[in-house]
Amino acid sequence: MNIETRLAWRNVWRNPRRTALSVAATVFALVLVIFSISMADGSHEKMIEDAVRLSSGHVAVSGKGYRHSMTLEQFVPWDGRVEAAIEKADSVRAWAPRISSFALVSLGDRSHGSMVIGVDPEREAGVTKFVSRVNEGRFVDQNPGPGVREVVLGRKLAERLGAAIGDEILLYGVAYSLETAYELFEVVGTMALPDPRLERNLTIVHLDVASEFYVYEDRITEVAILADSAGNAAALRTELESVFAGPLGDELELQDYEEMMPGLVQLILIDDAGMYIMLAILVVVVGFGILNTILMAILERTRELGVILALGLKPIALFRMVYLESMMLAGVGLAIGLLIALPPLAWLNGMEFPLGGDLAQATEIFGMEPVLTFKLIPSNPIFSTLTIVVVALLAALYPALKASRAHPVDALRSL
Amino acid sequence: MLFRMAWRNLWRNPRRTAVVLTAISVGIAGCVLSMAINLGVMTGMIDTAIRSGLGHIQIHADGWDDNPELEVRLTEGEVPFASALDSIPEVRRWAPRLQAQGLVASARASVGVSIVGVDPERERGVSVAADSIDEGEWLGEPKRLVLGYKLASRLEAEIGTKLVISAQDLGGELTGQAYRVAGIIRASSRDLDDGLVFLRLEDAQSLFGMGNAISEVVIVTEDRERVGLIQQKLQSSLASGSEVRTWEQLEPLLVYMVQSFDSMAWIMYAAVFIAMAFGIANVLLMAVFERTREIGMMRAVGMSRVRVVAMVVLESTLVTMIGLGLGVGLGLVGVWLLRDGIDISTWAGSLDDYGIESVLKPSMRPRDMIAPLLIGALTAILSSFWPALRAGLAKPADALRRI
Repeated sequence: MNIETRLAWRNVWRNPRRTALSVAATVFALVLVIFSISMADGSHEKMIEDAVRLSSGHVAVSGKGYRHSMTLEQFVPWDGRVEAAIEKADSVRAWAPRISSFALVSLGDRSHGSMVIGVDPEREAGVTKFVSRVNEGRFVDQNPGPGVREVVLGRKLAERLGAAIGDEILLYGVAYSLETAYELFEVVGTMALPDPRLERNLTIVHLDVASEFYVYEDRITEVAILADSAGNAAALRTELESVFAGPLGDELELQDYEEMMPGLVQLILIDDAGMYIMLAILVVVVGFGILNTILMAILERTRELGVILALGLKPIALFRMVYLESMMLAGVGLAIGLLIALPPLAWLNGMEFPLGGDLAQATEIFGMEPVLTFKLIPSNPIFSTLTIVVVALLAALYPALKASRAHPVDALRSL
Repeated sequence: MLFRMAWRNLWRNPRRTAVVLTAISVGIAGCVLSMAINLGVMTGMIDTAIRSGLGHIQIHADGWDDNPELEVRLTEGEVPFASALDSIPEVRRWAPRLQAQGLVASARASVGVSIVGVDPERERGVSVAADSIDEGEWLGEPKRLVLGYKLASRLEAEIGTKLVISAQDLGGELTGQAYRVAGIIRASSRDLDDGLVFLRLEDAQSLFGMGNAISEVVIVTEDRERVGLIQQKLQSSLASGSEVRTWEQLEPLLVYMVQSFDSMAWIMYAAVFIAMAFGIANVLLMAVFERTREIGMMRAVGMSRVRVVAMVVLESTLVTMIGLGLGVGLGLVGVWLLRDGIDISTWAGSLDDYGIESVLKPSMRPRDMIAPLLIGALTAILSSFWPALRAGLAKPADALRRI
């Protein structure tokens, strides 16, 4: 250990109470920053996961122009070629074919417009949560017999129609040929969904039944594809693009969840912005605390610094010493902070806690499940620690300059 | 006397006090400003909802809440309502509406929508629909409809395109009718742009076989804060069989959002103030240490323990309050500088999916000052606890002997 380091370390512990308070402030800030970021990361990941598993997956394949019009006119030819191409891509976790359109759903004298999605139940269970969200009755049967037309309704839609399990409801829509299509369906179940808009507006039937109803033959509107995680969506998209290159690809378009739900991405962005501003305020306040501690430590040692300078220590060494003090102060706080924050977070990682009260209701506006989740990504503690180190460096600048510029004679004379 | 001593002690080491004051005021100013922007976003969400058709108060027939269907209708006709509504001075404007569900189809596609029958002139006063016409014109001629631009593009409809609305009428029969597109709305509201089709009230009444009946009356009042009072007045002056509800009752989620904002504000202030408390405690502790001799002297000449403690607490309170005042002032200046809003539409133009406007305008209520004031006062007392105890417990003889 050289002389500066030894001096600095001893100086830090010269007034243990003062050091303890500064360290406590640093610990508090670091723990709060790491926890806030992991909470935000958790809730954002959950928002994306919830959203893609209630819509069209991470990447959707559809006919060219479908995302714009959302009508049956743009279709994916379902003759095995698309299926074979998707199977070739390695980063696909699951995929499910769909026929999506609209229909007027009515029971007795009540009717409601609704999105109608025709699904392959087994495949759909791998991609979206519709199957597991059935709260009453069951999902539509995997192998509907001839003439069997089953339907599962969003809970609020069923409530509005006054429909119960076993009721026969009328679907009234427009087929691919633009002729009117209407047919009776049996309600076999309802789904409780975290998004109230979807609960009011979702009707699910079997893919084959939808194909028959809309006279869609060997066409579907989209294939919803799930990647291993939201982070891999871009990679999945690139891979699918290469798989679909060629004449088949010209008829199709690929969209990832960021394109399909720009509002969600921006909501996360704005939420992050708000949180980082708050954390920045907190870190600045702690930075001033460090500045004050170091400054006080320098001012009360003016005479001593004068002696050191008079004995021949170079101003730059003094500057380094003050900087080392500040780094040690921050370092001790950061080490304790990491020790306090990381073990519980590693344990909480991925766990979900139900929210209560107003907060639970408020999350509904954004179509989220009212749960609190923590997610610890390595970049979080690294980023948080580095930020506080930078703030401590900045905070030490003024005291360090002040110390190194002290004139030995003046310093000795003062006090 | 105590106050003067505390005040002078504060300025004994001006640099130290200045650093603490800067920390407090920057922290508070940041909190005030970011809270104001948050509140502005939420007020914007509420305003958007109210202006896109929610209004301040809606009157429905009993049972609408459970079952918003055609059969739950107001049959009084326009005249008795009109006189009751016009007799209340706080009712600024009102408009009758018919609400139903249906399917709108072009030659290319069909989409499920909400169909709204409106009195074109009266509707102009209660929602932004009429003023948000981007192409064509608002309703006027019979057998015309107005729809949002997103819906129009999905249907590939333009001005003059013929669209067919199919729906169930009051009797439960399927009915349909063709209308020409008169105008296209662009309003940065998901409902107006993508979910609603407007018809003239008379056209909607004849399509749904409703006679003179309507689904609701929407009211805009003079003052959003006093809707509860106006609601009571209305309920007592209207015939039984109708229910009068405020926007808060109609969209409880918006209210929950504001309430959860309040709890978030408290947490945020608490976090920043705890961080400050460490700093304030540190400075006070230093100040007490370097005055050990002086405090011993004061105790020796007869100053009571309580007064010594009070002096330290007073010092802490003074620092906190000055910092709080500066911080709030700075924050308000920030709010004033940003009064025209921060335009984030270039990188976040799709937030209207969530009813958030793309210009963030800070907004403040007097009661938003309660949290920082209360927590600030608490911080002052808490952070002076240790230093004050230390000063108060010092024995005069020991204290004098030191240094």
